[in-house]
Amino acid sequence: MAECIVVTSGKGGVGKTTTSANLGAALALSGKKVAVVDADIGLRNLDVILGLENRIVYDLVHVIEGECKLKQALVRDKRVEGLYLLPAAQTRDKNAVGPEDMKKLVQTLKDEGMDYVIIDCPAGIEQGFKNSVAGADRAVIVTTPEVSAIRDADRIIGLVEANELPEPRLIVNRYRSNMVERGDMVNVDDILEILAVPLIGLVPDHEDVIISANRGTPAVFDEKSVVGAAYLRIADRIMGHDVPIPSFAEDTGFWSTFKRWMGMAPVREVV
Amino acid sequence: MRDIFSRLGPTVERIFGKAAGSKDDAKQRLKFLLIHDQVDLTPAQLDTMKTEIMDVISKYVEIDQDAMEFSLNKEDGHIALVSSIPVRRVTAR
Repeated sequence: MAECIVVTSGKGGVGKTTTSANLGAALALSGKKVAVVDADIGLRNLDVILGLENRIVYDLVHVIEGECKLKQALVRDKRVEGLYLLPAAQTRDKNAVGPEDMKKLVQTLKDEGMDYVIIDCPAGIEQGFKNSVAGADRAVIVTTPEVSAIRDADRIIGLVEANELPEPRLIVNRYRSNMVERGDMVNVDDILEILAVPLIGLVPDHEDVIISANRGTPAVFDEKSVVGAAYLRIADRIMGHDVPIPSFAEDTGFWSTFKRWMGMAPVREVV
Repeated sequence: MRDIFSRLGPTVERIFGKAAGSKDDAKQRLKFLLIHDQVDLTPAQLDTMKTEIMDVISKYVEIDQDAMEFSLNKEDGHIALVSSIPVRRVTAR
């Protein structure tokens, strides 16, 4: 059955667009038909992260206003079978679209045979957020191990539940295990304790993300990328598979080896 | 002394009770923030509530105001007003 997942966070710059692009691509690599929808009207970026910016003809607002057919606006990714981008409008403002429009749009995408519709939600809790959650069946919340991002994630979790979506799943992004190890970064267990939602993925902080953004090639297309591997695992969990979450201990020094040996390292996963 | 501990690694630092990094600050601040974001009461309003509750209790028992604890806690997503009020003696029957 087709499913629509909104990727949201409250705070900007925590990795929603990177997450949307990589999850969309990872699901397509698993043979699913996926539409990634950029709901950030006026400030689109998903096209750039996917490297599809030069192939946009029509956008989401054109579709909603009936200026083109949905199929004309969908940009097909040539690197993988089954991945489509529905870009946001760049020259309009977010009030051009309402929640009912988004519900209809998502339904049309499902009717087109998409297995997954991934909505890249804009930062904030206003119109763009309301539009993004309107058509969604469930939510994935992205946060980073920082006070401001976790605070906003808490607010968003409350709003997601107020919108009658099921309990969201959490992605902790930009995780630096060396900082966690020395006690200078909130660890994943602390975040889970504070936010009280299940974890669906832990993504290490790595320069891969910047390099893949420079190239417009999502990290999941790079077999050697640790970030890509993390997103491939998250996509597996989204499809309902039980995949353990590794601890990303970068340090192979004496103390971390000792800790691993003592069984203190791995993080428990919840799907 | 501190240098030796930090060179030996975080585990030893913790065993010897040395300063755990800044993450504990982050965690404490977050817990406070999330509760207050959700409750939406100003510290002044909380203080007024505390005073009013104390006034009611004082009608029946004499309480130790200095040893009294009054705080908002969050566990499993639920907020609770947690208070510990030491009673000196019963004043009214």
